[in-house]
Amino acid sequence: MSNNWEMVIGLEVHAQLKTSSKLFSSSPNQFGSEPNENVNFIDSGMPGMLPVMNFGCIEMAIKTGYALNFRINKHSVFERKNYFYPDLPQGYQISQFEFPILSEGYINIESGDNKKKIRIERAHLEQDAGKSIHDIDPKYSFIDLNRVGTPLLEIVSYPDLSSADEVINYISSLRQLLMYIDVCDGNMQEGSLRADVNLSVRKKGQELGTRCEIKNLNSFKFIKQAIEYEFQRQINIIDGGGEIEQNTMLFDTSTGETRAMRSKEFSHDYRYFPDPDLLPVNLSQEQIDKIKPLVGELPQDKLNKYLDNYSLDKDIAKIIIAEKQNANLFEKMISESTVKPKFIAAWLVGDIFAFIKENNIEVNSLNDKTKDITDLLRLISDDVISNKAGKEILPKVLNGEGKPSEIVQELGLEQVSDSGELEKIIDEALVGEEENILKFQGGSDRVLGYFVGKCLKATKGKGNPKLINKILLERLKK
Amino acid sequence: MSDIDIKRISYLAKLKLPSEKEEFYSNSLKDIIKWVDNLKKVDTSKTEPLHNVTEKTVSIRNDEVSKSNSVDDVLSNAPERAQNFFKVPKVVE
Repeated sequence: MSNNWEMVIGLEVHAQLKTSSKLFSSSPNQFGSEPNENVNFIDSGMPGMLPVMNFGCIEMAIKTGYALNFRINKHSVFERKNYFYPDLPQGYQISQFEFPILSEGYINIESGDNKKKIRIERAHLEQDAGKSIHDIDPKYSFIDLNRVGTPLLEIVSYPDLSSADEVINYISSLRQLLMYIDVCDGNMQEGSLRADVNLSVRKKGQELGTRCEIKNLNSFKFIKQAIEYEFQRQINIIDGGGEIEQNTMLFDTSTGETRAMRSKEFSHDYRYFPDPDLLPVNLSQEQIDKIKPLVGELPQDKLNKYLDNYSLDKDIAKIIIAEKQNANLFEKMISESTVKPKFIAAWLVGDIFAFIKENNIEVNSLNDKTKDITDLLRLISDDVISNKAGKEILPKVLNGEGKPSEIVQELGLEQVSDSGELEKIIDEALVGEEENILKFQGGSDRVLGYFVGKCLKATKGKGNPKLINKILLERLKK
Repeated sequence: MSDIDIKRISYLAKLKLPSEKEEFYSNSLKDIIKWVDNLKKVDTSKTEPLHNVTEKTVSIRNDEVSKSNSVDDVLSNAPERAQNFFKVPKVVE
């Protein structure tokens, strides 16, 4: 039924900037404090208090401008967006309206072999609001203003997205970029990154339909559910002969449904006007240029480098660049050792990531163990110890139980790679095996495996398998 | 000049307006707007918009934290408080 329908989606993503202080006050910009702990008289909207711009926010906006291919505007203006709600004590939100700091950017999203360019109309700086808690008391709401004045960058895309998967892909890419340039911690659970979804439906090839906006989604799961529900809701209305009313919707996480907000009878009238407390932001080219070097390497730069210079497989390279801290750990190990990057990468995405996941630790916590890790990988790649022994020792090294070489000695895991010694063991193993030797010479490869196993057992598993193989073949071909 | 929706304006302003006063305030507002509309007589087609009378740029500070008051200071004017929260009549969407 919904085959000939398509959805058209534009997104407003709110990213909390990870500055130390707030956008217009020097209160701490910090999640998880005691209620109203981080509130001063500017944040609480006391009369006569004046906002003072935090340059750190401008710097982060400019970095974002470079990373998301924006035009960085030298002139931008803060305006008041007026609305009344208890968690907004000023009675207005200071935001940018007509003159945002960033215009006309884009990012590329990729799924499989498909690439798509998603255009971004604008990004502007604004204040976050406080939090209302409704479920403590039946008659009262409790207000915590800690979040008031937290700097937000609102990133507004064009309606270039056409499925829930594309939306998730777009937000993941945005999140990855913002984390790379160190302007947002990307923690969706704590609300550091939230999205409003604007969705309309149309028959393929037709004009845009009327859109509804689903507010304040803060997990990929909810975003997907909300989009799928709203898509079907709009189709059902039109199929039933109705019309879509332009509405602001809430997503109910317990039922998985969207519903219109109650205050719809009064469509928004924000009465924007330039904030008389704040002069326009006028930046010089010099100020903007100065920030460019702070952007650093972006995921795409790293991907190219890993493929071209380190010859990694694309899938492995993508796992490593997914988060900046992975890439940092990887590059630190490369810079500190001569082990082949490809070998390091395989161990990183394999056993090392498995260890991180299993023990629920931060990737960064391994930064001071990189030397030990690469020493261990060196022992493995030099055949001093077997791959299997390496896997056994790795967790001990990561737990800081000692130097790799010491652990190897302690556990007696060093491989026997002395050919004289191995030859002796092999010769002994071949005594009385005339029948099997004939079988091998008659073309039965399976017998080789049997011999290798027998020899390994004779070395108590410490013989270098490659060498055993080589010597065995020489002996058997005689 | 477009008509004035006095009910909507009083809602936005959070002011309760007795119905017998609606016409009076509606007319007063119309007069004010008519007076302000005098500005439209000036030809501004060749004038750049001015956002502020000074030519200066916004004053800035470095991204540094300072705390100037306690939680109790902030809550001291609250009509009601519960622990360290402001307590307000239930507002729920």
